[in-house]
Amino acid sequence: MTPHTDRNRPGAEAPARLAVDWTRCDGHGLCAALLPDRIVRDEWGYPDLRDPDVGPDARRAVRTAVAACPALALRLETSVTTARSST
Amino acid sequence: MITVLQRTPSPCSWAVGPPRLLAGLDTATRLDWRAHLAVHGPVPGTDPDHLLAAVAAGRLTGRGGAGFPLAAKLRALPETPRAVVVNGVEGEPGSDKDRTLLRRSPHLVLDGALAVGAPVTVAVRDEQTADTVRQAIAERPDGRRARVAVLVAGLVGGEARALVRALRGGPPRPPSRRTPPAATGSLVSNAETFAQLAVLLRLGPHRYAETGTATEPGTTLLTIGGAVARPGVMEIPIGTPLGIVLATAGAPEHPQAIVLGGFHGAWLPPAPTIRLSREGAAAAGGTLGAGVLLVLDENTCALGELASAAAWLAGESAQQCGPCRFGLPALADDVAALVAGRSGGADALEHARSVTGRGACAHPDGTARFVASGVRLLRDEISRHRAGGCGRPVLNQAGTP
Repeated sequence: MTPHTDRNRPGAEAPARLAVDWTRCDGHGLCAALLPDRIVRDEWGYPDLRDPDVGPDARRAVRTAVAACPALALRLETSVTTARSST
Repeated sequence: MITVLQRTPSPCSWAVGPPRLLAGLDTATRLDWRAHLAVHGPVPGTDPDHLLAAVAAGRLTGRGGAGFPLAAKLRALPETPRAVVVNGVEGEPGSDKDRTLLRRSPHLVLDGALAVGAPVTVAVRDEQTADTVRQAIAERPDGRRARVAVLVAGLVGGEARALVRALRGGPPRPPSRRTPPAATGSLVSNAETFAQLAVLLRLGPHRYAETGTATEPGTTLLTIGGAVARPGVMEIPIGTPLGIVLATAGAPEHPQAIVLGGFHGAWLPPAPTIRLSREGAAAAGGTLGAGVLLVLDENTCALGELASAAAWLAGESAQQCGPCRFGLPALADDVAALVAGRSGGADALEHARSVTGRGACAHPDGTARFVASGVRLLRDEISRHRAGGCGRPVLNQAGTP
């Protein structure tokens, strides 16, 4: 249904992690409402990820939250894309 | 070997042992092309396979702060790299090593950058450095492949991906996607990294590893500031004990604290046995970062120094990411409350934890490390401030802009 489903669809067993694009996030808070056991809001309303690792059982609920983010800031990442560089 | 380039009264340099990067600078203000060849010898020929093999065997890591292995960056490049970017922006307040290299030994940096085999852009922040690099480019037979770009960039603008973005005409802020520059065909590394590469190619990995530690061969540049008699740029074998470096720089016998790794680094007790390597700094609970070492003596209010630096760091946020935009000012306010004796440090530690890992770049992480390490080290100071203050002025020995 959502345009994100295909892009974010992992291989069946590929480990997946919830991630926030912090440059996009405006702290609307829908993710915390949809995933209260994984995401709490900090004092300014921004999501604080308490459990970013997403197992197969949780994929469906997490994808719903990803699709609901009004800023398109919440992502389900399946590859190693989190490396940072700072030179 | 320890070589130190003194910042005052006139910029000079010195080394513990025979200098490599700073070779020739004990007598010359600037090595022009002819002097460069006389001091360092001819530029060695290389090809991509030889380059990668030398870099891997020499275990060369980036000297901009993150310490990323250069071999991994080279492997991620396409067969024909698009561009080489020499990061000479050096936004870290206490750091002077890259400007020193680019102004006084520019050909060493250019040797390393041009060896990669792609057009070179040297990114700097000031016209004086730009002029000396332009002059060096004009002196070289292979200078047509290099150019200089002057960027207006703060601390965060010097981050590799922010730099590439700015060079392409975008804003000097880290992009949201965590795509390393190598994926777009660009090799970005710090000015010192390319100078190290030039030394490595001349010596070969075996001789390059004759100094330094087994896991971190070679030398590194430090910039030493604060309460020392001889501030400036120093070249040391990696792994040199802190005590030797402090004595060489003319630090007081009993400093109050040191800050290792600059404003994204950590406050540490001045234990003379700390090894100045990436491993040694990590074992001491800190980071070598870009090699900034600040010394604080007993005459300054250390908590006030921490508060000034925390406020400056909050102001350096690119304002892109909520946790950094709001969290860093809150963190700075927490430290101001410590100075005022209104807090015990728990708020600061919680805000430091909260901002860590929650940004497009490592600015919140580095700021959190800096503040949290300071709060932990200065527990006695926090108690004194709660009891009415330490009675000392803030001398800005940390060099907050």
